[in-house]
Amino acid sequence: MTEPGPSGTTPAPPGGTSLGSPADDPGRVQDATARFGDLRDAPGGTARPDSLSDAQDPTAHPDDLNGAPAATAHSDDLSGAPAATAHSDDPSGARGATARPGEPGGGRGGAAAGGEPRTRLHPLTPVLKSVRTLALIVAAVSWRGLQNLGPAHYAEALLALLVLVLLYSALAWRFTGYEVVGRELRVHEGVLSRRVRAVPLERLQSIEVVQPLLARLAGLAELRLDMAGGAKSEAPLAFLPLAEATALRARLLAMAAAAPGHPPAAAASSSADEPAAEAEPADVFRVDNTDVLRSQLLTPPVMFTPLAVLFIVGQLMFNSDFGIFALASMVTAVAGTVGAPAMRVLNFWNFRLGLAADGRLRIRHGLLETRSQLVAPHRVQSLTVTWPLLWRAKGWLRVTLAVAGQRGREPGQESRAETDRLLPVATVDTARSLIPLAVPGVDLLALPLVPVPAAAGWLAPLRRQVLRAGLLDGAFASVDGLATRVLTVVPYARIQSVRLRQGPLQRRLGLATVLVDVAGGAPATAAHRELAQAVAWADELTARARAAREAG
Amino acid sequence: MTSGNPVTSALDPGPQRGWHPVSPRLAWLELTRIAIDTALLVGACGVAWSFLGYRWLPVAAVALLALNTFRAVVSVRAARSYGYAERERDLLVRHGRMVRHLSIVPYARMQFVDVTAGPLERMFGLATVQLHTAAAASDATVPGLAPAEAVRLRDRLAALGENAGEGL
Repeated sequence: MTEPGPSGTTPAPPGGTSLGSPADDPGRVQDATARFGDLRDAPGGTARPDSLSDAQDPTAHPDDLNGAPAATAHSDDLSGAPAATAHSDDPSGARGATARPGEPGGGRGGAAAGGEPRTRLHPLTPVLKSVRTLALIVAAVSWRGLQNLGPAHYAEALLALLVLVLLYSALAWRFTGYEVVGRELRVHEGVLSRRVRAVPLERLQSIEVVQPLLARLAGLAELRLDMAGGAKSEAPLAFLPLAEATALRARLLAMAAAAPGHPPAAAASSSADEPAAEAEPADVFRVDNTDVLRSQLLTPPVMFTPLAVLFIVGQLMFNSDFGIFALASMVTAVAGTVGAPAMRVLNFWNFRLGLAADGRLRIRHGLLETRSQLVAPHRVQSLTVTWPLLWRAKGWLRVTLAVAGQRGREPGQESRAETDRLLPVATVDTARSLIPLAVPGVDLLALPLVPVPAAAGWLAPLRRQVLRAGLLDGAFASVDGLATRVLTVVPYARIQSVRLRQGPLQRRLGLATVLVDVAGGAPATAAHRELAQAVAWADELTARARAAREAG
Repeated sequence: MTSGNPVTSALDPGPQRGWHPVSPRLAWLELTRIAIDTALLVGACGVAWSFLGYRWLPVAAVALLALNTFRAVVSVRAARSYGYAERERDLLVRHGRMVRHLSIVPYARMQFVDVTAGPLERMFGLATVQLHTAAAASDATVPGLAPAEAVRLRDRLAALGENAGEGL
């Protein structure tokens, strides 16, 4: 055992162990495996590490899920203290331990003197939320109901329904609400199934006040919080009176801006991705329009269209029953399948890549609707290279990026995390020279990827030759797909979480799958790796992701 | 270390040093869930049989019973396999007996933490803590925690996340 951390008998927090130091000593694999699980199973049998379990003192923790809804502010006050004691034993937690206990008082004092109780959402909230389902029910029941019950009974039934909804709303309203505890916003939801969502204000990037139609009629608004790295707006707080929503927005943004080591949210959003008013960068690369056209002709829908047309013609000639409507529908179907490639041709027409002075990529394309966007390399979450089967003869591939964008920064760019083409069609050489602009240090022709062991042949007999994965200098990469080959590259700094998965058959064969999760894209999957390697990779990926995060 | 072959047991669930097991009541919760499910379905079969008298209904009921017994075994094993460990920079969550899962979620990637308690969970005095990251696929859900422990874990995660916090 080379592990420098606590030995098996020491009751130390798991935080003390090192999944860290990317050393090269051969003991690392055993090191990792020992940490991931070397003891036999006896659920609940052994004692927990005491340094953490002291926070379990039941007197210190009234729960805020079972308790009366109004008591939570109080209970959270108490739970702040054990959290501090739990921290004091690890050095990195010390900052949190010192920062936390002071904050609840401060935050609350600023908000409302004398312990802020949970602020309830507007009482109309459950009504507004259920009004759509209610309308559907009424619409579904209406005519038959009216017919069967007669107007008087029908009105009674509707009234009863209304009363039920109001009762439910009243009940639900009691449990909904939000509160600011320390540096956290807590949102309470649900009647039967209750949920408390804790949103750390440090992560807050921006807040939107949205008024959907019905809410606007009622003078209410919804708060949508954009978190750092969020693929989409999360944690909506609905509904509040408009004035309250605006005030809360200002207050939360002020708290987020005041957070230590965090740039003010407004400044961060303005500096990050605002399209600069600089001169258009010169084009680095233009995709040949004929290549775009030809590549889209080499797609399954287009390739099979002649067959479909032949079929229609044949039916027309030899089948007298084949009416005009059947013909029309088939023509529509053919047009529909050809529609997608045709749209792509229009969309990728005049595809140009430019490089701005600060390293950002300017991607412009489109014939009818010109799209232009700036992609900062540090916003690229993952890069995917795809070799479709029909393009192999040409040696073509396409490159897509998953980018964590910013909503509404540029016209026509609505979604926050969108998958964008870096190259709609290109040869390997072109891609090889351009990919480093988006993800530095990736050489398409010299990827140090490792094939899967022979045992994987039992689970993926055909894909065995294809499956590859490996740790590059700055990114994790994996290859999968028999007909359509896909290479996924995730920079270490963009890894959100790492997972290991092992099915029963994989266990027999001593294999496991490594999944690297990334925002706004499919996880990079290294299937059927040898277990020791999978564990070592998970370990190494976590360490490298952390190093990259802290460096950047 | 205790196991003979540490490499093949790397994903073995089991209380290791640092691994917190979840409450044994989680298994009972799962059992209750399946029992209610079974009772409803088999009851529906029985009612339908008594009114309609189809021959296949009792067979279906027996099949349901058998299937749900199997489900019960699987989910009890799965419930017992849950474990989590709070390390310095990340949370480890593992679960599953048939298909084994291990998630490593850095605190720095945390976006928010949910503490959820459904009606049955509340009856058993349990709650679920879920850590969300920007990746939809991230899976850091710890069910079967005592509410006090859930709140403690939530607060600890929030505090650690604040320290390690940053954007993309």
